[in-house]
Amino acid sequence: MTKATTTPEKTRTLIIGTGFAGLGLSTRMKRGGDNDFLLIDRADDVGGTWRDNTYPGVACDVPSHLYSFSFRLKPNWSRVFAPGGEIWGYLQETARDEGLLPHIRFGAALTSAAWDDASQAWHITTTKGDFICNVLVTAMGHLADAKYPDIPGLTDFSGQLMHSAEWNHDVDFSGKRVAVIGSGASAIQITPGVAETASELVVLQRSAPYVIPRPDRAYTDAEQRAFERSPELMEELRADLFWGMEYNYAQRRAIPSAIAQAYALANGHRTSQVADPVLNAKLTPDYEIGCKRILISNAYYPSLQKENVTLEAAGLERVEGNLVVSTAGNSFEVDVIICATGFEAVEPPFAPLITARGRSLAEHWSDGMMAFSSVTLAGFPNLFIMNGPNTGLGHNSVIFVVESQVEFIIQVLAYMRTQDISVVETRRDAEESYVARVRHRSQGTVWLAGGCTNWYVDPRTNQLTVTWPDYAYAFRESNGTFDVAAFEVA
Amino acid sequence: MTTTLVPGAVTGVVDADGTPISFEDSRDPGDGRTPIVLVHGTGGSPATHFGYIYPLLATRGRVIAITLADPVGRGAHDLQISDFVDQVAGVMTHALNGERAALVGYSLGAVVTAVVAAKHPDLIHSLTLVCGWAQTDTQQVLRNEVWRGLRVSGADLIKEFSVYSAFGGPFLAARTRDEIQPVIDGVVITPFTDAQMELNRRIDIRDELSRIHAPTVIVGCTYDQMVPVRHQKYLFGAIDNARYTEISSGHAVVFERPAELLRVIEQFTTAPGRYPAGAVIPELKP
Repeated sequence: MTKATTTPEKTRTLIIGTGFAGLGLSTRMKRGGDNDFLLIDRADDVGGTWRDNTYPGVACDVPSHLYSFSFRLKPNWSRVFAPGGEIWGYLQETARDEGLLPHIRFGAALTSAAWDDASQAWHITTTKGDFICNVLVTAMGHLADAKYPDIPGLTDFSGQLMHSAEWNHDVDFSGKRVAVIGSGASAIQITPGVAETASELVVLQRSAPYVIPRPDRAYTDAEQRAFERSPELMEELRADLFWGMEYNYAQRRAIPSAIAQAYALANGHRTSQVADPVLNAKLTPDYEIGCKRILISNAYYPSLQKENVTLEAAGLERVEGNLVVSTAGNSFEVDVIICATGFEAVEPPFAPLITARGRSLAEHWSDGMMAFSSVTLAGFPNLFIMNGPNTGLGHNSVIFVVESQVEFIIQVLAYMRTQDISVVETRRDAEESYVARVRHRSQGTVWLAGGCTNWYVDPRTNQLTVTWPDYAYAFRESNGTFDVAAFEVA
Repeated sequence: MTTTLVPGAVTGVVDADGTPISFEDSRDPGDGRTPIVLVHGTGGSPATHFGYIYPLLATRGRVIAITLADPVGRGAHDLQISDFVDQVAGVMTHALNGERAALVGYSLGAVVTAVVAAKHPDLIHSLTLVCGWAQTDTQQVLRNEVWRGLRVSGADLIKEFSVYSAFGGPFLAARTRDEIQPVIDGVVITPFTDAQMELNRRIDIRDELSRIHAPTVIVGCTYDQMVPVRHQKYLFGAIDNARYTEISSGHAVVFERPAELLRVIEQFTTAPGRYPAGAVIPELKP
């Protein structure tokens, strides 16, 4: 792509990404009368992970009345767990209705962002023009950059290779032999659909997930109209869903009675759906429940028991031509490989691109992601990281975290405007003591103590850097309010 | 050997006028927070009423959970609120060694802890009254009479009636009859429950309330049919240094919304003065 030669576009606040985080923040800014902002996105539409993940069966594991903005309740969600396309539509509608589209520059992938002390500005280069802004907000999600496994021969695979987050809708699975690599959240949504059409399907499972029932159903017209006519019903439902999910934090905290309840639910579901003891054994995880994400599906186990489906309880070792070879030594001839292998979460791909005073974010994070209040960093003035260190939730809706971060940033921007401040920078001691508190709180959680490998823990340090190690409400309590005491301002 | 609710906790027994009172003490010094003392309600125990919040609170600091007991050598009709007050004060005096505690009472336990705070201010750092009341009213007496009638008749239906009364309408409505059955099966009624139910008819602690000066939070539950929020609003008016907050739950908040109750307790006991006396603390809107 040719780089624009025009002068950089100037704006007070630049937001990278137009998923829930970017749209949520910009909606609140615009509603508050702040129009001096731009959003950039590498794609040609809004929607973040819901734009990118279009595989058949894609859906959210959090009920839609909770997995949506508190300030944009939607009465007509079709189901308890709306399909992914409906969530994408909700975000498109948000961008349109809130008047955000004129603020968005599409097709602009970040190539560099550098802070300049002299001009008190971030200088941004992208694949489609340059920008200068006073405040920079990264609003990319945890699930933004597809992660392929590093497997010998994979890139030379002679058939069709795709990632769950980069679905090729031109591929027709009928009569095809397909391998699904992985058994995480995407894989268990993909597998039932592919099993219907493919002639043969093998699922390579490196580590069995815990799966619990999915209490899904369609909302009736009457219910949807009741929500529309009595919006407080949506707020009540939302609160019920939220506190119901908060309850499950006790499992992540490894409280014995809560762990026992979780085992009863997951083991009961597996036993009721999988009669064959051999398959049941293969599907029984070997780590403490909750250490990896607990998945919800009613369709996954039944699909594995179809005639044309094989569960290979081993990882992928290598690919030779059109042959997929498992670590158990079994090979399968396939036409299509679907990598449902997740995302780059521990080391965000944007980190090397952002620099201040000669130091990149990747260098700042060489011992793992960290930030004050999970949003700002010492040495990186006027930079706010959304969905950054310790912001993921294993038990509740991440939109609650996103909205907490939105509130924090809104308060900072208001403070800068009213106090005529042009630079805010986190004090190093504030960042250090916050990080120490989070590290301390992480001890004893099932993510660290559960005996599994998960994407919440940085393998370089064995620290929990992706997930927030506490209740969601505690995130808002700790990180939802700006206090200038933790900052140097100028 | 007794299994403790919190791994590594110790159990202790204190003599209260001839009655052994047992308690569990998490003993984890945590991060230097004020120790919390939990007092359960009618027919309850630390395991049944605080099975969720006690282990979670104990991940942050020291928590003591007291098991109220039927006073030795008393007839059912002689049980007095002062018996329980002495039991709680006895454990606190013994276990806390002069350190003040954040005292938390639920239901009948809230009545008890309010009187403890009035009579033993030196033991108290803050007071959390969940679903408490000052004086039993006619709605409560009628419910109590239906309960007693079922109990005397030996009808198994008393379990359904207990669950129907204890849980909020919205909670029950959101579940199937089958899903509620285990809750009904879990209702256990003992002679000590009878004694507490008899005591519940006679509660009147109005004169004690003006003697409470510790920072207090009153927690009402919107759909509480057993101790409706008018009672908590009375307490809010009667206790000088009180704040008020509400949880969208029935009386069985410890089962319906335990995580939200945990948030209220944690936030208040960590910083009791965060909201001034007279404040209504808003419910979190997720």
